[in-house]
Amino acid sequence: MRWMLLGPEVYTFLAALGFLGISLAGRPNSGRDHLAALCLSGVGVLLAASALSEDAILFSEVYRVDLFSQVFKLLLSVGLFLIVCICGEVREIREENRSDFFALIFFCTLAMMLLVSGNHLLTLYLSLELSSYSLYVLVSLRRARDMGVEAGIKFFLVGIFASALMLFGMAVLYAMTRTMNLNALNGALHGMMGQPLVLLGVVLTLSGFLFKLACFPFHLWVPDVYQGAANEVTAYLAAVSKLAGMAAILRFVASVGQGGADLVQVLLVFSVASMTLGNLAAITQQDLKRLLGYSTVAHAGYVLIGVLTLSASGYASVVFYALALLVMKFTAFLVVVKVAGNGTNLHINQLAGLHRRSPVLAMALMVSLFSLAGIPPTVGFTGKFLIFVAAMEKGHFALVLIAMANVLISLYYYLLVIKAAYLLEPEGETGPIAVSAPTKVLATALVGAMVLAGFYPYPFMEIAQAAVGVLP
Amino acid sequence: MIVPFGHLLILAGILFVIGLFCALARRSLIMILLGVEIMLNAAAIAFVGGSLHWHDMEGQTIVLFIAAVAATEVSVGLAMIVHVFRKTGSFDPVLFDLLK
Repeated sequence: MRWMLLGPEVYTFLAALGFLGISLAGRPNSGRDHLAALCLSGVGVLLAASALSEDAILFSEVYRVDLFSQVFKLLLSVGLFLIVCICGEVREIREENRSDFFALIFFCTLAMMLLVSGNHLLTLYLSLELSSYSLYVLVSLRRARDMGVEAGIKFFLVGIFASALMLFGMAVLYAMTRTMNLNALNGALHGMMGQPLVLLGVVLTLSGFLFKLACFPFHLWVPDVYQGAANEVTAYLAAVSKLAGMAAILRFVASVGQGGADLVQVLLVFSVASMTLGNLAAITQQDLKRLLGYSTVAHAGYVLIGVLTLSASGYASVVFYALALLVMKFTAFLVVVKVAGNGTNLHINQLAGLHRRSPVLAMALMVSLFSLAGIPPTVGFTGKFLIFVAAMEKGHFALVLIAMANVLISLYYYLLVIKAAYLLEPEGETGPIAVSAPTKVLATALVGAMVLAGFYPYPFMEIAQAAVGVLP
Repeated sequence: MIVPFGHLLILAGILFVIGLFCALARRSLIMILLGVEIMLNAAAIAFVGGSLHWHDMEGQTIVLFIAAVAATEVSVGLAMIVHVFRKTGSFDPVLFDLLK
């Protein structure tokens, strides 16, 4: 028996069950739960790292453990660990719900680990549902119940609609090809991509992944959910759950998309619409979480550019960008969580004078936003550069031009936030923000990572290239 | 097989469009949920039809999973809808405008 094959999944499952047991026992103690979650997720990172080189196809080929899935499992574990780091006092979630909160984020991470390994449409569908349902409940858990449930119900309605479309697309694909296995679909669809029903099936199936990625036309939930969920939950949604969406859409498109010129056109429209809508809508936002939500929609558009190249270099650039997004988004939300100390939503004006109230957080915010905008020498610039180069290789010149224009638009609203943090004077008297030493270390390390990976991205690029080497 | 495969797909397609219309056009949370359930059932019919057409059991197994997912969907959905109904006294989604 090679236990390490499913090590990260089994471990995360057991950890989630543990928190479920604590929740059922009904003795809430948030300090103990947080410490346990911190230890468990820390060990989970080590476990995922040691399972990096496993390789197998399991359970009559519905589940695939390969370098691609293991790299994403490692990223998911790191993401979970980072999120747990900032969940010391989740003020916006009631004391009695804290162990449910930890159980749900572990279950959600488990579902995403299954998602990145799925090699069968049913595996993809079920793991996508499991992660979505955990998130629906997490979003609704907010202490201000009306806000939380409103966000939850909007999230839920878009989510079930997208998943119903996805399921029908899968049914069409199955009816046309007799198979739901991704490897077999790769062979069966060869030369069939021109048929309208097959294209319909593939595009409908994509809708579930596009929902997960927060991409047009399933982006409607993003701003409301980002605003309505507790800050820590939003951080998890933005930084971690997008990773799994990227991995799933990569594996699916790499398997079924070969030779699909029409599919590329469809993805192109979604990509342009997503980044343009996201960036234009972000300009007018005053709530920082809503602004970051729209920026997520725009980033989903950039990610799709890498996917629609249908080339190894494009896929590798998406994997690199996934890593970059995890660090950038997490750093931005670290600042949101820490500045909004009592857990309420953060208005952009409330950032005024941040550079004096907490220089470390102001610097972390500035570097992460510069990185999201794609300013050298940050990791965001390298990621966008790789994606654009891969698109140029395939001759998508107009698309890259539109994306560049979008980068300029996005720079405007990111600079507005940075201006608020560095140049505006606060209206009333506001004291310094108490930032604990571990948080300072974490923020500095993240800033260092963003700049370092921007200057010297080669090791990460090599990992990304090796990971996509296993895709068909 | 007595019923031709094409007819099954057409039935599934019609049912899917009915569900789609119901989910998009109705202004009641219950009806939206119901529309999505109809869409799921359309997918289930297409799966069973495909399974008969290809003489392959996989499609029929998937229908069992669809039934389980649909049950989860109703339970989570109704829990939220009940909370919302207590608050606003209506199933109309337009009344939720806290977030903007």
